[in-house]
Amino acid sequence: MATNKGRTSSFSRNFSAAPTSSIPGLKYGPNGTIFLSSGVPDLDSGGFHLGSLVMIMEDTEAPHHMLLLRNFMSQGLVHNQPILYASPSTNPRAFLGTLPTMLVSKDDRSRNTDAEQKDLRIAWQYKKYLGENKPHIEERDGKVEYCNEFDLRKPIEKHLIMGNRVECISLLDCSSLAGFRNSCSKFLSQLPRYDGNITSAGRIAIQSLCAPQCEYFDKEWDMLSFIRSLKSMVRSSNAVAFLTFPASLVSPSVSKRWQHLADTLLSVKAIPDEDKELANLLTGYQDMLGLLSVHKVARFNTQVPVILDATTYSIKLQKRRSLVLECLNQAPVDGSSGSSYGTSGSCSGSSKTGTLDF
Amino acid sequence: MADAICRVLRDGALEGEHATSLTINDSVDSPFGPIVFDYIFTQLSSYISSGKSQSRGVVLVAFSRSPSFIVELLKSRGIDITTTHEWLRILDCYTDPLGWKERLKERGAIKTPSTEASLIVNLCKDVRNLDDLFSLIIALGKGLVGEGKNRFSVAIDSVSEMLRHTSLSSVASLLSNIRSHAQISSVFWLHHCDLHDMKTAAAFEYMSSMVANVKPLSTATNVLRENSENLSLLEQNYKRGQFHASLKRRNGRVRIMVLPSFSLNMYTCTHHTQAHIQCSISAKKCEEFSIEQSLIKFTSLSAGKNETAQSLVPKVSFRHYRIYPFMSFFYVQHNSGYMFWQVQFNLQLSDKERSDRAKVVLPFEHQETGKSVQIYDGRRSVTEGKHVSSIEKLQKQEDPGRGEIIYFRDSDDEMPDSDEDPDDDLDI
Repeated sequence: MATNKGRTSSFSRNFSAAPTSSIPGLKYGPNGTIFLSSGVPDLDSGGFHLGSLVMIMEDTEAPHHMLLLRNFMSQGLVHNQPILYASPSTNPRAFLGTLPTMLVSKDDRSRNTDAEQKDLRIAWQYKKYLGENKPHIEERDGKVEYCNEFDLRKPIEKHLIMGNRVECISLLDCSSLAGFRNSCSKFLSQLPRYDGNITSAGRIAIQSLCAPQCEYFDKEWDMLSFIRSLKSMVRSSNAVAFLTFPASLVSPSVSKRWQHLADTLLSVKAIPDEDKELANLLTGYQDMLGLLSVHKVARFNTQVPVILDATTYSIKLQKRRSLVLECLNQAPVDGSSGSSYGTSGSCSGSSKTGTLDF
Repeated sequence: MADAICRVLRDGALEGEHATSLTINDSVDSPFGPIVFDYIFTQLSSYISSGKSQSRGVVLVAFSRSPSFIVELLKSRGIDITTTHEWLRILDCYTDPLGWKERLKERGAIKTPSTEASLIVNLCKDVRNLDDLFSLIIALGKGLVGEGKNRFSVAIDSVSEMLRHTSLSSVASLLSNIRSHAQISSVFWLHHCDLHDMKTAAAFEYMSSMVANVKPLSTATNVLRENSENLSLLEQNYKRGQFHASLKRRNGRVRIMVLPSFSLNMYTCTHHTQAHIQCSISAKKCEEFSIEQSLIKFTSLSAGKNETAQSLVPKVSFRHYRIYPFMSFFYVQHNSGYMFWQVQFNLQLSDKERSDRAKVVLPFEHQETGKSVQIYDGRRSVTEGKHVSSIEKLQKQEDPGRGEIIYFRDSDDEMPDSDEDPDDDLDI
């Protein structure tokens, strides 16, 4: 799902120019699909399919799923998309104060000088979807970008979370999931899908659906049937449902069923701290917070599978503020002491590293 | 190791964060969870009573031990009992958890037992109502530290007892409410993980920022497969064990600490059991501390003494991946299936390999040792009989484990006394 560099081949289909979406935050994709941004630029090779169910398998030892959730919700607020947020806390609205704001980089002003180079990059990247037309994506001068970068150190502007833009539900109040299902149904009824033009799109964000403090925690089949009904409701509406759950807290068979229900399935993993072996194995270990793995990517209106360049990415914070995903890179092969093979030139055996001792 | 955990509990939580929480897991194979709990409780109490911690007081929810045990424990650790009313409250869920004695008292069947005067103990008569329990805990805590920004800690001994009376989701809800309360600095609890299913243990780990596992030094199945002489290892399980801890750091990484062995010397006194805890820290630094007569002493161990720890070091594996060195390939597998291949050709010789190589006798007839060496060339010669003794001596000089080069001359293929000139095929 990260940018596929160098995937264009001479045999790529010549897509007819797809209509550029007039609605900010939506993008037309191949096979009649529409995309919604995930809020993480590295995760958006298109985005999330409208009408899909995205699931994140949490790691109980790390809160990385919250980074993805925050970016997802902030992106929706920036694009003025209605959001339904549910979490197992007594006051879910307090979470909105932790959503990040858009990153305004200093390079924005100087972008125009690099426009030509940038345009090439954009055109090449999105050629698969939009043919010869240069997309309106990433326009400057005050127009809305499809996918923004977010500054995790600063909270979102208050005017974006005021009012009724975000509906918050506490999962602790739901003794069974029937009430929550009704709330979702009511939310999605505002965003029906017709064959005509889309007027708006919405987002549902559910955090830690099977948290142990919820009353329905023991009712695994109820949770499964809720997810099935959510998936079917979302499929027939203009919304994306983003759901995180700690997979280790449900029984393995139910967890598998849960994973199968997802259209797009990601998982996050914690990494051990101060681990020398991992530091030797991977470059950039010091900056890594965790690992993100893509298990499944949604396929709508197509039988062609999405083949990714890599399925595991490292989660990093660039300059401690914006979320980036990078492919894993192996550290250079080295001898015993960590310097790379090419550095030592002598074969006399005087230095310890990288010498060939015949 | 345990001190590191105590320090994290002492430092508590930042503003807006959930309270630091610790789960102590043990099992019947290594049932030292209560002793570890006591150790951490007394450490935290000493920090609190001396004013060195974020929290100003601690509320102990006692399910499995009576308040009088707590008093004795604090006394044995040298903590002044008379000042406990300033920083300690005990919620007694041990004496009458379901209110049966209360009903008997009403009928006059039993009398109220006396409690230590200096200790403030509140009795809980219905542990099934966790909402009331939560309110009681908060009320006790606020009674200790007052309103406002002052914080207190909560210790629960143990959640396994709670789960006997209520469901997991209500216990989890209680713990989650405790963690998210603004005035609670840290909370820790004991959990006997073999009494419950995996889901329960996973749920408690989910809610903890630190997990401490008390494990046996060797499992019974391992021992039985080996010699019966190694049954002493089973006995060791009653005195020693392994202590694993993992801390969730704020940056999302997990710090894993392993203490390959800790040992306990248990002996019973007239009224209570006093436990000595010895912890040995492995790898680069060996440290042992023992508690004798309520005093902790740290002594450093040399590597030779603590061989058990050293031998256990290579077996320690990180939770999230294992390394399998296989010839010259390193294959790193993550539990969930991440695979990283790193092809590394190991061109360095180990010391043993180097010495073996030095001992190999090369098939040169002149070895520069001053005497000629007869290399067996596949032909028995007349002179062989004379040299047999020298060959035998040579062979005896070889170490059994050194490399050999077996060399057969090409001239072996030739029949002796052949008419062919071996140089016929040369075209000069």
